[in-house]
Amino acid sequence: MIASRQEGDRSSGQFNIRVNQLRKVLRTSHGTEPLVAIDRLTFSVMAGEIACIVGRTGCGKSTFLNILAGLDHPTEGEITIGENTPYNAFDLFKGAVAVIFQQDRLLPWRTARENVELGLEILGISPGQRRETAEEWLTRLELSGFLNAYPGELSGGMRQRVAMARAFALDPQLLLVDEAFGHLDEVTARQLRVDFLKHASRRGTTVVMVTHQLEEAIETAEKIFVFGKPARLLAEIDTPAALSRMSKEELRTFIQETIDSNQPRQL
Amino acid sequence: MGSFLAPPTMGESPVWPRGLSLGLRRETFFSLLLFACAWQIASYFAPPYVIPGWQAIGKSLLHLHMEWIAVTAVRVLFSLLLSFGLGALLAMLMYSSRAFERYLLPLLKMLMAVPVLCWILFAVLWFRGVEFRIAFVLVIICGPIFVIDLLDGMKGVLREWREMLRSLRPSKFQFFQKLILPAILPAVLTSWKVNLSLAVRVVTIAELVGATSGIGYGLVVAQGLFSIADIFAWTLVLVVILLVAQQIITLLEDRLLHWRESA
Repeated sequence: MIASRQEGDRSSGQFNIRVNQLRKVLRTSHGTEPLVAIDRLTFSVMAGEIACIVGRTGCGKSTFLNILAGLDHPTEGEITIGENTPYNAFDLFKGAVAVIFQQDRLLPWRTARENVELGLEILGISPGQRRETAEEWLTRLELSGFLNAYPGELSGGMRQRVAMARAFALDPQLLLVDEAFGHLDEVTARQLRVDFLKHASRRGTTVVMVTHQLEEAIETAEKIFVFGKPARLLAEIDTPAALSRMSKEELRTFIQETIDSNQPRQL
Repeated sequence: MGSFLAPPTMGESPVWPRGLSLGLRRETFFSLLLFACAWQIASYFAPPYVIPGWQAIGKSLLHLHMEWIAVTAVRVLFSLLLSFGLGALLAMLMYSSRAFERYLLPLLKMLMAVPVLCWILFAVLWFRGVEFRIAFVLVIICGPIFVIDLLDGMKGVLREWREMLRSLRPSKFQFFQKLILPAILPAVLTSWKVNLSLAVRVVTIAELVGATSGIGYGLVVAQGLFSIADIFAWTLVLVVILLVAQQIITLLEDRLLHWRESA
């Protein structure tokens, strides 16, 4: 799984994602009405695409991402990655799917390098090779001087870079990103986005990214999925095609109006 | 007690080089010295069977059965290791199975509500071997504390960390090894500190009943001979054992949890 994939792999159908009539109902423990978090969601993402999901806060974006990561099960419907469902064939996707979370979620007792090595340890990579991979990724992400620093000694942006290195070090075929840059200041977030896109597109990784920042989605994604509340598809936008017909600002306005109306719209 | 022999923090000056001092701070040293002086002065005014002077206590210390100190230390260490092993096993089972936890937790709470003295009496009534009695009492007192502390530690591991690790798809063993064990290490060390202090006090009481060696037996003999200096000497030994044991754990904490300084 670690062996580098070639750029041509972007067209491989192995990691096509198909979401079919997905529904998730959350049952609360305090006896209130069950909450529909995802309602009959259907769309697909092709292998190698960078897709962004936008929508209101609390519309079920992160719940969707958790199901896609295999960490949760849907109530109805299914998600397939290639031929398999990530929550049923959980172990099949070991090393193939990586997640960058909203907060860095670094383990405080591990140094930056050891945090990056974590996923490689789980894959059973030899100590020498995982050390080399971790150092290589931390260097690429401009943290070569902080290999042995503990998370408590790093700034928010640096910590998120380590989390990014932890995900990239696995060389995953599918990378899930949950509002990973939203809590950082704009300058740091922009720089991290640029670095992230550079590495993700160079390796041909399929990316599904959740964000509530429309500019981030427009600048980053090849495809934008606009979610309503509860999560259902309001619009699917081919970003390069849309930007050939309208300005970034017009596209932003269209997306914002779609979210506000909570009704399906065509571009 | 925790800060009594705590390592010096920045800006505080140790009395002597740290390696020799066991982290003894200047303030701690002087407060102990003050106590020793006050004790000596009091001994001049009180009868020797109430407050014996340091000279008498020192003489008693020289004549104590040193092997009894080792016997008590081995009993404490063996029982604590057994309690910890059993406690860790039960805590892991309870963490893995909610049903198991629901059945076992009330029993543990009931065991913890029984006074030490009752356990000692039960041990005398139920078992013949002295060593078994002492081990039983220590394990039944310290075991449940280990279980509760470890279980709390495991449950306290952040959901965010658990999700992050699960996203890497580890085996159950890797999940415990990479996340749960290092995350509960501070709770484990704190639990050891608490149980060490408890075990040293409980073993002495347990040795009062039926033992023919150990510090508790030494105290019974001293009481029989009405040797107050011996009683104080044994007490001093107990306090020193406890402080040294606590300090060893503090040093372990410094070594294993040094990452906390950066947090």
